Amino acid sequence: MAAQNHLIEILSASDRRRLLAICDTVELVLGQVVCEPATSTRHVYFPVDSFISLVATVAGSPGVEVGMVGREGMLGTQLALGVDATPLHAVVQGSGTALRAGSAAFRRELARSASLRRTIDLYIAIMMAQLATSAVCLRFHEIGPRLARWLLMSRDRAGADTFRITHEFLAYMLGVRRVGITAAATRLQRVGLIEYRRGLLTVLDRRGLEAMACPCYAADLRSYSDRLE
Amino acid sequence: MPHSGIDPKANQLLAALPEGEWQRWHPQLERVEMPLGQVLYESGTTLSHVYFPTTSIVSLLYVMENGSSAEIAVVGNEGIVGISLFMGGESTPSRAVVQSAGQGYRLKAQAIKEEFNRAPVLHLLLRYTQALITQMAQTAVCNRHHSLDQQLCRWLLLSLDRLRGDELVMTQELIANMLGVRREGVTESAIKLQKAGLIQYARGRITVLDRPGLEGRSCECYAVVKKEYDRLLPATVAS
Repeated sequence: MAAQNHLIEILSASDRRRLLAICDTVELVLGQVVCEPATSTRHVYFPVDSFISLVATVAGSPGVEVGMVGREGMLGTQLALGVDATPLHAVVQGSGTALRAGSAAFRRELARSASLRRTIDLYIAIMMAQLATSAVCLRFHEIGPRLARWLLMSRDRAGADTFRITHEFLAYMLGVRRVGITAAATRLQRVGLIEYRRGLLTVLDRRGLEAMACPCYAADLRSYSDRLE
Repeated sequence: MPHSGIDPKANQLLAALPEGEWQRWHPQLERVEMPLGQVLYESGTTLSHVYFPTTSIVSLLYVMENGSSAEIAVVGNEGIVGISLFMGGESTPSRAVVQSAGQGYRLKAQAIKEEFNRAPVLHLLLRYTQALITQMAQTAVCNRHHSLDQQLCRWLLLSLDRLRGDELVMTQELIANMLGVRREGVTESAIKLQKAGLIQYARGRITVLDRPGLEGRSCECYAVVKKEYDRLLPATVAS
């Protein structure tokens, strides 16, 4: 079986079959908005090699990323909480495929399978931990370590060391000005941790980047492996 | 009629329990005093109880490796402390500290887990979880984009909504810890609010004099969070 979404992989064979039966494979494109605040959730997404940013916005500011969803997770957990809409924007940050299920069909599966519910609940707990990390990270950490964390999170979800990204997009995600990103990225490049050319970013030294990242990166990984691996 | 802190139904989630659940839970609820600064649980530890504040307010703090912390959410009579007990994982990444003294009720971990495993699942607790998620996300964005003045207003308003009076017993030190800033910063902001006639701060008591004024100075995060709570949770306590 091809590499898939981790939440689906860890289901029992019968739950997995049933869930896959209600999913179709879709291509998600960089910048695509897959969920908007205050609109009914029509689909849930299980990214395979795409990944999605959760962005909280405030009036007059462009917003900031508060979470990231890739093959380790899903978009649309609010359905499992009996809620139809969320106040967050979901924007595709890495193009690729995802498995998509309709809301009603997904709700039926949740109602049917306690083990699916349990898996999603655990993932919700992981997402909440990620939100908590983000809140504190945004308060305390400098742009350099935050950028390193963000690059590692993206790399893990892209499943590749090279991905397409612009400084504008990075600035938007991290909630800082573009010049701040450029300066921080230049520093990472100068010490040989990344290479950035013509919109393509390559992680050259993963360990080095980990050493540079704020502890939030490791905290998120721990929180995930404590619950779902 | 308003419920007193002695009535478990002063907590809105308990008040909204279906009759069957209420009958099962009621005998198991234990009334507790929650003094200012009491730590209900530390991050990374296993939770022994969930708490339903009635007249107290609890702050959920994320603690970093170097010991500094910042608040990610507040929980008062609208909520429950310890949702990670039923949402997965016994432990939680946050520390829960009583931020405003009062009372509450608690339920043993085993009891809430058993309740949660019953069918049908308690929808109210799930919806509360979503509301809490919103509060956390908004706190994150607020930390990035808003001034300390705005954040202090947001924080005071969120606290006030969870209390009955206009008065908050609170040191500036504690507020600084919650907001993850230096105490001097909080002092400055508080003086500005006082000069503008919005609050009065004396001997560890903050009295709100002009609530609409405070709302006007707060960032929108207060309204966003309040709206989401109103949308997701029933206003069950008569006001």
